Formats: sequence, C-alpha cells, structure tokens
Amino acid sequence: MKAVTETDVLVIGAGAGGAAVSKRLSDGGVKVVCLEQGPWLHAMEHAHMYDSWEIERNRAWSWYSNVRMMPEDYPTTGNAAPMMMNGVGGSTLHYAGAWPRFKPVDFRKGTEHGVEGTIDWPISYEDLEPYYAINDAEIGVARRVGDPGNPPRPEGWGPASRGGRVGYKMGSGFDKLGWHWWPADNAILTRQKNNRLPCNDCGFCLGGCPRHSIASTDVSYWPAALANGVELRTNARVERINTKNGKATGATYIDRDTGARHEVNAKIVVVAANSVGTPRLLLMSAQKGHPDGLANSNGLVGTHLMFHSWSFEDYWFDEPLEGFKGPEPAVLYSQQFYDTDTSRGFVNGFSLQVGTALGAANSALGTNTGNIAPWGAGHREFFNSHFGRHALVYVQGEDLPVATNRVTLDTTGVTDSDGLPAAHVHYDLHENDRRLIEWGRSRAREAADAAGGVIDTASTGIGGVDGPPPGWHIMGTCRMGNTPEDSVTNKWNQTWDVPNLFIADASSLTTGAAVNPTSTLQAVAVRAAEYIKARFPDIVAQTRTPSNADAPGM
Amino acid sequence: MEILIATQLGATQVSKPPLGGWGRGVQFTDEQAAVLDAVADEIIPGGDGFPAPSSVNIVGFFARYVTPASEEAKWYPFLPEIEFKARLGKLAGKLMARDPLGRVEVLRRLEADDAEFFTRVRDVVYYGYYSRPEVIRAINIHLEAGKDYRYSPQPFGYSDSMADWDEALLSRVTGTYIRTQDVRPVDLPDDLAARRAVKRSGVPDLPTAQPAPTPSGA
Repeated sequence: MKAVTETDVLVIGAGAGGAAVSKRLSDGGVKVVCLEQGPWLHAMEHAHMYDSWEIERNRAWSWYSNVRMMPEDYPTTGNAAPMMMNGVGGSTLHYAGAWPRFKPVDFRKGTEHGVEGTIDWPISYEDLEPYYAINDAEIGVARRVGDPGNPPRPEGWGPASRGGRVGYKMGSGFDKLGWHWWPADNAILTRQKNNRLPCNDCGFCLGGCPRHSIASTDVSYWPAALANGVELRTNARVERINTKNGKATGATYIDRDTGARHEVNAKIVVVAANSVGTPRLLLMSAQKGHPDGLANSNGLVGTHLMFHSWSFEDYWFDEPLEGFKGPEPAVLYSQQFYDTDTSRGFVNGFSLQVGTALGAANSALGTNTGNIAPWGAGHREFFNSHFGRHALVYVQGEDLPVATNRVTLDTTGVTDSDGLPAAHVHYDLHENDRRLIEWGRSRAREAADAAGGVIDTASTGIGGVDGPPPGWHIMGTCRMGNTPEDSVTNKWNQTWDVPNLFIADASSLTTGAAVNPTSTLQAVAVRAAEYIKARFPDIVAQTRTPSNADAPGM
Repeated sequence: MEILIATQLGATQVSKPPLGGWGRGVQFTDEQAAVLDAVADEIIPGGDGFPAPSSVNIVGFFARYVTPASEEAKWYPFLPEIEFKARLGKLAGKLMARDPLGRVEVLRRLEADDAEFFTRVRDVVYYGYYSRPEVIRAINIHLEAGKDYRYSPQPFGYSDSMADWDEALLSRVTGTYIRTQDVRPVDLPDDLAARRAVKRSGVPDLPTAQPAPTPSGA
C-alpha cells in the first residue's frame, strides 16, 4: 500500500532552485513538501580540517557522481561529465559561490544574432532585477558596488572578498592594458549572517564550506524554509511525476532508506532537479497522454544543453602571490570582451575570471592544467619555483544553445541504486565557441604578460581537460521561451504542456551568458515562486498554459 | 555518520569513502614499508632543507589510502591492499639491493612499463608528502611564497594575512555594457548567418529539436 501525502505545492529537489522556491512560497503561507534524493550534509563531513584535504578532492568531494558513486548519486553516460551533487543543498554544496549577474544584452541574444538555437528570453534584465536583489539579500552577497561594466547593483550584505596578492597582481595587469576589471561578487559571507560565520579566506571553496560562509542552500534558504513549516523529505528519490487529465497530480518517490514507494499529491508541482536531473525526471515520467515524457510534446526537453565554453590558463610568476589564500575561483573578473564583435569571427563573448591555486600537493600535481612537478632530481627546484607564485585565469565563454547538445535517458542498462535509468549527456563544442575560446586564450596571456614576470604557463587548451568542456555549469535543457514551439516553459516557468507543472532551476535558462549561472537561476526561481504565490488560484484553475501575452501578471 | 557506524561494526562494504582515509589503515610488513620508503625517497629526494619522505612517515599516509582487503577498491587512489602489497613484493627484489642511481633506473622502467600504477603511486607520494607537518614547516621556512602556508585550510584560514584591494587601481577602472534598449542585430559572418535558427522577428525558422548539420569548419 502506498502512503499518500497531500500538499499545496510539491517541490522536487532541495538545491539552488528548489530551496529558494520552498522558502519563498512558505513565506506566504503556502503548504510545501520538498523531496530530495540525498541526505543532509554535516559540517564535519567537509575535508577542510584534515591533513589529507587535498587527496579528498578525488574521493567523497569529487565533482563527478560517477567517481563518488554514493547511493544518493545517479550516474551519467555519454561524452561529457557534468558536475553535480545530491543532498540538501544540491550542487551548491560543492560550488564556490561566484555570483555575477547576467547582463541586459544576455536576455536579447536572439535579436542580436540568433545563431543555432539562440532565442530571446521572454523576460528582460529589468524584469528579473528585483528578484536578483531579493535573492542577493537572502544569501548574503559579498559585493563592491560601482562596477562600470554592469548595471548598478544594490549594496552587498558585506564588502567584496579581499583580493590578496593575486588580486593585486592581475588587477595591475588589466589596469596596465586599460581593460575593464572588478572585484568579484561572491555568495560568500564577509560579515556574519544568522548562524553562518564570515569567510576566513581559507582558500578551499570548491570543497564546500564548513563555516557556512558559502551560501549553499542547506545553510542559506533551508533553515528559514523549515522554520516556515516546509516538510523536507530527504533520501526521497522521485521516480515519476504523475498526471491526470492534462494536469500534474504529484509524484511517486522511493524512500531510499526503506525502499518503499510513497506518493505526494499536490495542486502544483515544481521541478528543480538541475539541468540533467530535471529532463531525466521528465523523460522518466512518460505516461498516458505524455508518451515522450512530460512537457515534451515538442521534443525540446533535454535539448539546448549549455556548459559554457572554457579554457583554464595557469600562470606562474617570479614573485610570491600566495594563491592558497582567499576565494578559490573568483577573485576578480574582466568583461572587456563580453560583447559580440563579429570582426573576431564569432558571436558572443567571454569573461576572464581570476582564480587561485589550493595547496602544496595540488601545486606539485599540476595546479589546474596538469603542469606536474617532475619526480626525482628536478622536483625540488620545480616545486620551489612554482608553489605560491601562481594565478589562474579562466576564459569563460558563452556557448551557443545547440539542439543536439542534449540530455536523454540512457538505453544501455546503466541505472542508479534504485534501478532508474542513468542520464545520457551528449555535448559537442560548436565551432563558434571554439573560435571564441581560442581568441580569449590570447587575451588571457596578454593580461598575464601585462601583469609582468611570467616564468611558466600551462593550459587545458580549448574545451577543458577532458575534451568536451567541463560541465561546471549545466544549463538550458528545459528553457523558458516565447512560444510552445521554441521552448519548454512560458515566461513564468510554467510548462507549455502541463499548466500546473513548473521548472525552476538552471534548465530554465534560455541562454547561458558568459558568467556563472547560480545567481541568475536562483533569481528566476524566486520570481517563479513569487508568481505561484501571487497567482495560486489562477494557476490551479488553468486547464491550458497561457501564452506569455495572456498569462496573468504578477 | 553512516561511515563511522559501518567502520565501528566492521562492516565489509561502506557506501561512502571514509574521510581522512581508512581509520585503522592497512598494516605493512617491514619489507613492504622499506620498499615504499625507498620509492618515495627517489620520487621526492630530501635536501635543501626539506626532509626525505621516509623521515615523515609517508608509509603511514599510504596505510590510510590503500583500500583494505575487506573493501572493494572503488575510490581513489584505487590501490587494493592485496594487489598493492604483491607489487611491493615484486619491487623489493629489483629495488632494495640497488644504489640510488639504480633505484631511479628501476622506477623509470616501472614508469615506462606500467604508467598507470607508477603515476598512482607518485601521486599518493605527492599528496602524502605535502601533507606532513615537517614538510609544511620546511615550506614556511625556506619559501618566501609559503611562509604563511598551513597544513589544512581550517580552522585558521588566512584572514590574518590577506591583502585587501588597492584603491588606486580600482579608481581607474572603466567599463561599459549594452542596455536592453540598445541591443541591435549584428552582421554575421556567412558561416554563422547560415546557422541562424530564428528570424529577427523571433519566430523560429528551423525546428530547433532537429539534429543540426555540422557547423562549417568543425
């Protein structure tokens, strides 16, 4: 016999999007149940206080579910390796909290060029800005206002993270060239907020944060959501979203502790399982009336996957930079080459983001680019001349949304620990994006040379270490758009096929811009939650998803 | 918690890699430990104020990260106890009677013949050596760039010695961005114009879910 729970809104996934939706809905008294296939993470499960913290990055703190192989993880097949975590907090448990915003032009790339699957967003930067601001306040952004390369942003909860010697060195390089640069916004506390301690510049951001300075949602949104009365069920793996007469009725999930199946019935269902997990679940939910999966009558679920295009450029200098200190991935950024200039031979642009280097073992083992200290007689000289003298420049490009870059269900029999099919992920870097990164690599080198004193360099080359761009940022597989022909949801994150089924994670992003996506996906999720809250009776009464023009406003 | 309970109960399979390595660690014989010390001392020779790996208990680090025989070696560094000890035994005969130059020759041959195994051992030596307090102390003393370096990121962090931004530099920053109302169509190179899926009106030209032809030049 199945246990059944009734609620107003069912949220699937407790990560960046699901936590924001759960909290904002419950602020307004909406009854919410959230299902998360992973567990809570305890602060002592971080590796930061172990002498062997660096080797642990390859084990429980690997970015790849196929490497961790924990019971809450689900595997992926295909030619790309997306970086994902499962647990309360989702992949924010394992991100560094770089917190740039998309720019106004990013919402109008269809108008600007329309190459491949590029379309305009159905909303503008100005539409989203109030929700960026709400979200920034919720998570406690660290920010220095005044960046002339972006629209004005509100004051942060605290000042920008300090730049250290790496910030000074690369800032000097950009300054010498007269290029734009600015201290990075980070979702890292520089001032205490509730029970979260301010950052103490320990440098190991990509292993989560035991001080709770980084705004993973287990410490940012969830405490307030739980206090509001949200019922969060962990180790609850959804196997299918259920429908009846064209509307979602809830979901069936497997309790991973007992193996028992349960149902949650809801008036509205919000999926926020990330850009791999969301299309996987929608495709697994094929059923009567939805033979190709939910919200997939136009065949677009899983398509237009974006990762950003990347190159990591390591530079070593003739002076101490102490890159083991401070925010790991985002000290500062330059957006000098952010906008399209087709005389370069490509559309879109890139950010040059400056990062750091972790510890001594990582330095010996090649930093970010495989520049490994030799063993034997030459080891000491190499190590001593490289350790603590490094800066990383990420060339982070906007990649085109391409229909054939997509998530499907694995058909080779690979499953998760409950027998549900793995996600198959296919991604090929577009020629436009290859040109963009090649051009960007030269600009990164120009900046390092302007900073002065480069003694050694190494690069991942175009696309990252393993050929396809590393899936740091997974976006766009259930995008919002303008019509039922060009997208999976309308401008309010409402799926075109099922009016009471919403998607509120990075799969909603229409294009990926050339910046880290979490602040934007979370702003979109906050906006969707505010809409559901404001229009709950209208949405529940709808039998068809309205067009963008006909949908009731906020 | 799941790991701790499993370890205490002596369960044969745990669901997550234990943080900090396998608590009890594997036990090496004196000969196995001597081989490991000898290998590590050639991989990172001591000197210039830095200790030899054998003097900082590199063997103890391996003991934590070699997977005990009772467990499946499914996590990094993928060194199962029985197989690893057998390999050390084979190396003993080739290595221990040689002088340092001869040992380097043996290791170079191993690197050429079994790169995967050699690389894994080398990497654990690097991870282990650069985690030892004596080595961190050497870094602090002998490297200007490492004078503040600590053996773990927490609990201290580095706020006590983190430099702030340079206000003079920041005062000179310039930049711009395109406002929403200023976004205009760009002239596309021919190869990209052919790949445009959407008319300027925003109406799709091509069915976007169809497989796209290979981009020119790809």
